[in-house]
Amino acid sequence: MIKLRAILTMTIYAILVTFASIWMAKQSYSWFPPEASAESKLLDDLFSLFTGLGTFIYLGVIGPFLYSLIFHRAAKYDRSDAPPIEGNTWLEVTWTAVPLVLVLTLSFVSYRTYEKMSIRGPMELVHLHTPQMMESAYAEPFDSTPQREIQNAVETAPVEQIDVIARQWAWVFHYPEQDVTSTELHLPVDRRIRFTLRSQDVLHGFYIPAFRLSQYVVPHKDINIEMTPIKTGTFRLRDSMYSGTYFAANQTDVVVQSPGDYQQWLASAAAQTPSPAFNQAIYEYNQSSEPGAGSTKDKVAVRGWATIPPAAPPVVNYAPKHEPKSPPV
Amino acid sequence: MTAERAISQAIEADIREHQEHDEAGNSKFGFIVFLLSESVIFLSFFVGYAIFKTTTPTWYPPGVAGLETREPLINTIVLVSSSFVIYVAERYLHDKKLWGFRIFLLATMLMGAYFLFGQAVEWRGLPFNYQSGAFGSTFFLLTGFHGLHVLTGIVLQTLMLGRSFIPGNYDNGFFGVEATSLFWHFVDVIWIVLYILIYVWQ
Amino acid sequence: MANISIEAPEVVRGQPYPGAPDNWKRFFTFSTDHKVIGIQYIVTSFFFFLIGGLFAMIMRGELITPEADLVDRTVYNALFTMHGSVMLFFWTFPVLVGLGNYLVPLMIGARDMAFPRLNAVSFWMIPVAGILMMSSFLVPGGPSQSGWWAYPPVSLQNPTGNLINGQVLWILSVAISGVSSIMGAVNFVTTIFRMRAPGMTWFRTPAFVWAVLGAQLIQLYGLPALTGGAIMLLLDLTIGTSFFAPERGGNPVLYQHFFWFYSHPAVYVMVLPVFGIFSEVLPVHARKPLFGYRVIAASSLVITVISSAVWVHHMFASATPGWMRMFFMVTTMLVAIPSGIKVFGWVATVWGGKIRFTTPMLFALGGISNWLFAGITGIFLGSVPIDLHVHNTYFVVGHFHYVLYGAIVMGIYAGIYHWFPKMTGRMYYEGLGKLHFALTYIGTALIFLPMHPLGLMGMPRRVASYDPEFAYWNVVASIGGFLLGLSTLPFILNMVSAWIRGEKAGNNPWRAYGLEWLTSSPPSVENYEATPVVVSGPYGYGKNEPLVANTPNPGLTEFPESFTQKPTS
Ligand code: HEA
Ligand code: HEA
Ligand code: CUA
Ligand SMILES: [Cu+2]
Repeated sequence: MIKLRAILTMTIYAILVTFASIWMAKQSYSWFPPEASAESKLLDDLFSLFTGLGTFIYLGVIGPFLYSLIFHRAAKYDRSDAPPIEGNTWLEVTWTAVPLVLVLTLSFVSYRTYEKMSIRGPMELVHLHTPQMMESAYAEPFDSTPQREIQNAVETAPVEQIDVIARQWAWVFHYPEQDVTSTELHLPVDRRIRFTLRSQDVLHGFYIPAFRLSQYVVPHKDINIEMTPIKTGTFRLRDSMYSGTYFAANQTDVVVQSPGDYQQWLASAAAQTPSPAFNQAIYEYNQSSEPGAGSTKDKVAVRGWATIPPAAPPVVNYAPKHEPKSPPV
Repeated sequence: MTAERAISQAIEADIREHQEHDEAGNSKFGFIVFLLSESVIFLSFFVGYAIFKTTTPTWYPPGVAGLETREPLINTIVLVSSSFVIYVAERYLHDKKLWGFRIFLLATMLMGAYFLFGQAVEWRGLPFNYQSGAFGSTFFLLTGFHGLHVLTGIVLQTLMLGRSFIPGNYDNGFFGVEATSLFWHFVDVIWIVLYILIYVWQ
Repeated sequence: MANISIEAPEVVRGQPYPGAPDNWKRFFTFSTDHKVIGIQYIVTSFFFFLIGGLFAMIMRGELITPEADLVDRTVYNALFTMHGSVMLFFWTFPVLVGLGNYLVPLMIGARDMAFPRLNAVSFWMIPVAGILMMSSFLVPGGPSQSGWWAYPPVSLQNPTGNLINGQVLWILSVAISGVSSIMGAVNFVTTIFRMRAPGMTWFRTPAFVWAVLGAQLIQLYGLPALTGGAIMLLLDLTIGTSFFAPERGGNPVLYQHFFWFYSHPAVYVMVLPVFGIFSEVLPVHARKPLFGYRVIAASSLVITVISSAVWVHHMFASATPGWMRMFFMVTTMLVAIPSGIKVFGWVATVWGGKIRFTTPMLFALGGISNWLFAGITGIFLGSVPIDLHVHNTYFVVGHFHYVLYGAIVMGIYAGIYHWFPKMTGRMYYEGLGKLHFALTYIGTALIFLPMHPLGLMGMPRRVASYDPEFAYWNVVASIGGFLLGLSTLPFILNMVSAWIRGEKAGNNPWRAYGLEWLTSSPPSVENYEATPVVVSGPYGYGKNEPLVANTPNPGLTEFPESFTQKPTS
């Protein structure tokens, strides 16, 4: 009788937990910035899987835990001990084996996603996926992208080369074909982009949250990564590797445009003569009254210590006229 | 209390007695643990050296083709043999022959000093310094850090030599001498690896 | 806390003992008694916890608005660097060494640690190193501003050009605390291997001792690598060698390997003793043996081994080749197995127990629930593609504070409350303790949970200013942070007033099983009048069997009868 009730309770709880996990897995898509690159879809699917499984494990463990905390309390004057159960080999083997299987599965699935995103290690040449194939639906618990078609599309699609130069504290983008430089990153939509990352001083991190990718920029080392923007709009590029005093201000906008707009932008930028761009770090550095002091704005309550001076403002063809505005993403 | 338990208890109390007074044993155990840990510093330097060497585009500074190996080899032979000499010194101490112990300990010290001297001569004659790229930096780091250990070993030996003149110093065992000797063997083994890494692998 | 009839008559003692009112001065001396040293460690490091927490309060004040308007950027950068460094090197490590110092010899029935004088030297290096680090606030250029990782090349940039600068002081201070830890580790390992009481075989050794052993073994193999890296960094910074400076032909990424080879395993140095505390506290307050004691004990050593080969998960976004990313992804995830064994074991321990919600029990239960959450987000981070998105965002900050605060600090609180009657002979105030728990648990969730969505949205860590879209969750987090700051007040009040005038607790107020509860509270200098001879395993609740054969303190060995006695009132 008691056993039957226990089994029933457990079944009901397991069903509830399953539903909760599926709900969380679906919910997880809304925690991210927009999916602006092909890779972001793969990542969001993977993350959703992890969220679902993670919720399941969390609730699966916390449920029995809370249950016994509520129902197995000692009565007020009960000084006796509980039954001396010291272990159960069968149980212990199970809860060693099940996590083992789970983490191996998770590793394998992560590995597949990683392969598909093809953000291989630096300097390894990468292959790509076209966006059209990546419409893996939200209802799908996990990605089922047709790998072969992607591969074919990849081999025929042209690749856009852009050099990224990071320094303390500015980003400069160089379009080698047109020899255009800019402090704002403009990209054509639905085209494979290959970035070559370079740093002129310290480590930086090339990170566009809407693209779900980050990669350190290492001085004296060229690092290639590829990705495919699939959504037009303005997104944010942030430095993701702490790079010193004005690290937080080392951001810029990413503008993804239709190929026509993009070509137009390139042409008009190429027509402009290079001039020094606005730079937030230099602006703040010059705000300080004492030379060499790292103080930022006049309204800062606590003044600071000496800092490395920012590098000279980048001289570029194109720079937004104002300090970059953040899009509401 | 059953008789069985009383017996086992008596035996265990005996063991306990033994443990309480085995402080030298504890020290020896602790010292070996410490040396194992210390060897990880060297290990990490060695691994660092290997990575630098295999990944740095221009390894040797301009004008340097490699290292001279002949004098360092002599140095190596002296240092490695001193390990045997200190072992002999230890045997003498075991047999309570203090003078033999002192003479061989002194010989070890002299050999160690010769090694340091040879190292200094080599350093002075080198066409590069510690600022000469990754090669210069790692070379001086490895040899310098090892040299510091040799120096420490010689200081320890001097202490042991001095203490051997205190009457009754070895009545309660000679953990200090054992530790010094162990340390010396450790320094030697490290050098052999270091020699292979820096001088042989060019 | 009501006392029970099994209370031993207060034995009149000749020797002074720690905690005696006339004897507080010995805590300021070079004492070699492991119990005095243990308390010295705990109190000193708690002081640093307040300092590190104060830095965090200023940081949260800055982050409550998107602009960098409270403190200058250089100050903010120095604050998080010092916050992280102080919290890890001068709070978490030393406080756990303190608990271990106090408890390990008592739990294994030894008179003291193997090398008492070395022990005292290890302790006194901590205040020295801590003051050295704090003194960097006074040098021109201020403290180190390169984060607690001190990654070159940023850590090699020296704006003032002085030889004595914040970064140099930081390296020296960390090096001193490292030497102290290595000496401590040699001491612990020797003590645990060689000084267990007769009859205490490995599988009669409490899980806490196993966990401390696992942690200290990590110190022995890991710390030297960090020391090596620190020496090279110091030489680069002071005399211009070129190990890590790219412009001189060095390799900055190599430093990251040196650093994480130790600093990843270091997180298990911190969490393992806390696992030990959970394993000790739960059986006492649930009155049930630790479920699967042997595997829980052994899994500590499994963690010690696996943790030596996962460090690259902090470097997935560095210039790391693909095979390395994949290899370390798998090893990282494997840690879930020994961790899971522990979590499941704890759940099974409380299952069907006779649970009492005392303050230590509440902290232990809360800590376990936070650990479960943090462990799962850790598995997220271990997956390379996910990490490439959230690396160096607040998701990571959320993950590690859930462990460091949610599990470790709460576990430390559990330990302090649980053994407070043993250390002082007095009982803390239950009401204040519960208030402390409630504030801590709510505060933890309020501040550290919102960090996860922030990170997923793409908010980087180590920023003094951020885009307005992140403001909402940051305000919530700051409020939670201030609540956490407040939560320390009832704790301090509780400890100070209970130590001075709390109710006398007796030798074994929890009716707990374990050698440390067999002696007086606080224990005499020798710990035991006669060496205990152990005859059974450590968690004999409900089993009616004695723990020791002899009777070091009469009246306390025969647990079972007294445990099953009905209260007389
Ligand atoms: C004591 C502290 C502590 C502990 C114990 C852990 C535990 C773990 N950590 Fe964490 N971590 C930190 C402190 C800690 N961490 C710190 C301080 C940082 C950041 C440092 C910095 O950058 O400044 C960090 C960063 C960090 C990163 C790098 C993130 C980045 O910078 O991009 C990663 C990546 O893999 C990671 C992973 C893990 C994993 C997998 C565990 C595992 O040990 C967790 C295992 C536990 C469980 C999984 C739960 C219990 C298990 C079960 C119930 C079984 C079933 C479960 C499954 C099948 C999944 N951690
Ligand atoms: C055990 C370790 C530990 C602990 C306990 C904490 C505790 C806290 N941490 Fe910490 N944290 C780290 C370890 C820890 N942290 C590390 C390693 C980093 C990374 C650093 C880096 O990036 O380099 C970090 C980074 C970090 C950040 C990210 C900074 C950034 O990236 O920009 C933040 C932001 O909110 C934060 C907040 C807090 C808060 C609010 C607490 C709270 O829990 C604190 C609660 C407050 C108190 C306990 C103090 C109460 C005292 C008073 C109210 C005043 C009285 C004091 C005196 C009179 C002296 N921490
Ligand atoms: Cu593999 Cu695309
Ligand atoms: Cu780690």
